[in-house]
Amino acid sequence: MVPPLAEERRRRTRALDTLAAIVLTLGAIAFIANLFVGRTGFDFAYMQEKYPIFLEATKLTLYATTLSFVIGMAIGFFVGWARTARIVPLRKTLHDHARFRAADTPRWKSRLGAVPLILSSTGKYYLRRVADAYVEIIRGTPLFVQIVFAWSVLLVNYPRLDDLGLIAGIAALTANTGGYQSEIFRAGLQTVHAGQAEAARAVGMSRLRAMRYVVLPQALRLIIPPLTNEYIGLLKASSFLFVIGVQELTTVGKSEAFREFKVFEVFALVTGIYFLMTVPLSKAIAYVERRYRIPGLGMQQARTARV
Amino acid sequence: MIRVEGIHKHFGALHVLRGINLEVSKGEVLVIIGPSGSGKSTLLRCINLLVEPDQGRVFIDGVHVNHPDIRPEWVRQQVGMVFQSFNLFTHLTSLENVMLGPVRVKGVSREATEERAKDLLARVGLSAKAGAYPAELSGGQQQRVAIARALAMDPKAILFDEPTSALDPEYIREVLDVMTALAREGMTMIVVTHEMGFASSVASRIVFLDAGTIIEEGRPEEVFETPKHERTRVFVSKILR
Repeated sequence: MVPPLAEERRRRTRALDTLAAIVLTLGAIAFIANLFVGRTGFDFAYMQEKYPIFLEATKLTLYATTLSFVIGMAIGFFVGWARTARIVPLRKTLHDHARFRAADTPRWKSRLGAVPLILSSTGKYYLRRVADAYVEIIRGTPLFVQIVFAWSVLLVNYPRLDDLGLIAGIAALTANTGGYQSEIFRAGLQTVHAGQAEAARAVGMSRLRAMRYVVLPQALRLIIPPLTNEYIGLLKASSFLFVIGVQELTTVGKSEAFREFKVFEVFALVTGIYFLMTVPLSKAIAYVERRYRIPGLGMQQARTARV
Repeated sequence: MIRVEGIHKHFGALHVLRGINLEVSKGEVLVIIGPSGSGKSTLLRCINLLVEPDQGRVFIDGVHVNHPDIRPEWVRQQVGMVFQSFNLFTHLTSLENVMLGPVRVKGVSREATEERAKDLLARVGLSAKAGAYPAELSGGQQQRVAIARALAMDPKAILFDEPTSALDPEYIREVLDVMTALAREGMTMIVVTHEMGFASSVASRIVFLDAGTIIEEGRPEEVFETPKHERTRVFVSKILR
């Protein structure tokens, strides 16, 4: 373990390094940009005048992303949970049921007892298969296509809908992130040691309670980093919504850029805003993660393998 | 108190338990010994239905508990369990570990439970560690918290599945002391263990299990000193060295 003082100093140095890197990068970008816009110069006045439009668009981007992400989280949890289900072939279940019929149980009663088994077994089977198919479809097709598809479906069925583009966009983003988050949840749930669920059941918890009070709280802490990643990915992916005319950040940027040919000004604003959303977010989450870390759960910074 | 009648359990092609009959009366301490793979853990898990027996019946206080009309969750509230690998809830402190069952399963108020949980931690000698997470405790301390967690549900009996096998030698004593104290207070216990000192001083009865059947059963001195069966003799001589 590094003594706290040295650790603190190292953290400060690291922060300085990051700052230096950002300044250098921005400087380089500004320099290259200047080569292109050199003749007309960079129009700061334009940016100052126009930025409220972009803030409006940013709100829409954040709204669509966050709403999709939250609904997608619920989908992700249940689909991910379903995908951890173990499938026992129905034939084997019934075979075991018949094989272990107690000698004093009449045959008709044993047959009747098989009905709930058949229902739960087939129910579980189809639940698992549907969940698998959903994830494969989402992962196996481009987000772009999913957005256009959702939009087309809505357009054909509800052509007069207000906000058709936004609804289609949120639906597509939700379905998409739900699929990816289910994989995150599945991995998280499977990382929690089997003994935890067993101990929960041993104090008399139902499966649902064991999930709610023991497995999920641990899994959630473990999957904070990939979930953050997914949120940032989704935020950037929401720029695809420009194809269906949602007035989010990228869409507004594209139309404004060519209205007065202020390409560099506009994209400096647009990229800057994306950057200002993603970087502080990941820093904040990293802080929360460090602040609320529980010993023995997740990455132990001092103990991870460094190769 | 606990009665087991003709229990069979298969795992696939493996016939793990082959017709076990067992009776434990109130306040008794039954120690189960036997080579690894003999079905000791499975037998324990059949009693609190963490594993559902294929055949046979389990009674607790005269209630046929592996009956379809009985909720297994209810059964597990009656019988506590302590695991070889402790299995404390990683994300909760010692105190919260002890409180979780009563609060979330029995619906007891937090205040009442907290008082009780503190008493229980004191009983296993860990008042000072109430706020510590499992990863901050030694193996022996973790296992004592696990015992307090089992006690918090006011169980009629507690099952111990090799409670000291995963411990460093220096921590075995403290766990066995807590278990001995429990036994003296009249707790009904079924213990799978290879701690012969504990078995001979605390157990009311020893059961020797091999290949899924009970080979021999008797008071500790009978089983350890004058075993009737060859297999018992071989096993006992191995663990007594």
